[in-house]
Amino acid sequence: MNLIDRYVTEVGKNLPLLKGRADIEKELRSTLEDMLEDRISTTGRMRDEAMEIELLKEYGAPDKVAETYNPTPYLIGPRLFPMFIMILKIVIAAVALGLTIATGIQIMKQSPMTVVELLKTIGEWLLNIVSASIGAFGNIALVFALIERFAPVSEFKMDEEKEWDPASLMKEPEPDDVKPWEPILAIVVTFIVISIFNFNPQLIGIYSFDGEKWTSFPLFTDAFFRWLPLMNIAWAAEIILNGMLLRSGRWNVSARLTSIGIKVVQIAILWLLVTGPAFLAITPEALKATEIFDADSAQTLGTMAQAGIRIALGLGIFGTVVEIIKTGYKLIKQKLALSA
Amino acid sequence: MANTESLENVVLELRRGVIVLAALSQLGTEQYGYSLLKQLADLGLEVDQGTLYPLLRRLEAQGLLESVWKLEEARPRRYYVISAEGKKILPKMKKEWAGIVSVMNKMLA
Repeated sequence: MNLIDRYVTEVGKNLPLLKGRADIEKELRSTLEDMLEDRISTTGRMRDEAMEIELLKEYGAPDKVAETYNPTPYLIGPRLFPMFIMILKIVIAAVALGLTIATGIQIMKQSPMTVVELLKTIGEWLLNIVSASIGAFGNIALVFALIERFAPVSEFKMDEEKEWDPASLMKEPEPDDVKPWEPILAIVVTFIVISIFNFNPQLIGIYSFDGEKWTSFPLFTDAFFRWLPLMNIAWAAEIILNGMLLRSGRWNVSARLTSIGIKVVQIAILWLLVTGPAFLAITPEALKATEIFDADSAQTLGTMAQAGIRIALGLGIFGTVVEIIKTGYKLIKQKLALSA
Repeated sequence: MANTESLENVVLELRRGVIVLAALSQLGTEQYGYSLLKQLADLGLEVDQGTLYPLLRRLEAQGLLESVWKLEEARPRRYYVISAEGKKILPKMKKEWAGIVSVMNKMLA
């Protein structure tokens, strides 16, 4: 392998994983050979290693050359950045709100508290906000980076440029229009759910008050929480979808495609839960252990709860499939209307 | 030092804007990358290889250029030529350019 070949291979290693990598390498090799030939004819020198080194030095470091072929040299580009910032702000606010509510519940449950315990709880609350915000930032950045890489620009116009027509104020709302409070509410609720499931899962349970203090009984087993990363992706995508709706004010083609994608992930999660081990902690044994129910009642209730939740999730899968079909139908109608 | 750097950046931006038009205008007959680079240089527009080759690929992806590999002198070369779509927009780009030059000449007079 000569120097030119080694250089081309080195550039190839640094090229982004895009279609046509071999083609770029082939063209680069051909160009370098052309340039060398040009030098030989203009200088009258013989081709040697020194000439190749001189040429390659001028052409530039392999990583820099490869960088020029990178169509998206940023994690989140200018097309998505305003949306990214907008969602990040709503999400951080929602995280802070969710954790504040969760901490409030915790203080109420544990009261009366000593000053030290109270300060400790407040400290944990602040730390949770910081770590949850960093986690939220990471999740949102990951989803946006994936959209940046894989979503076609033509389909995912996050900020559709359309001429504003004052006459639109006179029109009746169209079925595709979205009221601004709907996506905002959805984003806030989703983030409260994310912060509770990720940072305060102990709050998800059945509560009882015996006149002196609150006791809680966990609702889900570890089998449920093992799918949490997948749920986080679906929730993060849901937030992005609502950000798109907030920005465009209507269900456009890209929003409907995103919605279908999210529903497919939701079906996968529901399927994994239905077919996996018991994820509901309300089992006959657990109910018996609470000493609230006798053995027979615990057995009946526990069995019913286990069967009931699976039936409910089965219905959830069916409902989501229906939703996908409905969204797909609206999408086709919209596409036909756009092309007409 | 900072002024020189700023000037270089501004000049780079200015030149970057015209390379698309320059390349399309010269690809009425098919050329491989290096021959186009030399032709542009001969006409007075020095373009860095790191700018031209990715640009040619981008223009091809946008449908404004077409390319084909040919084996010449025992070496494969990728030849580029303006596409039908490119031919359609080139006159509009030229008109736009003439307008910009006219406006800027007035401004800078």
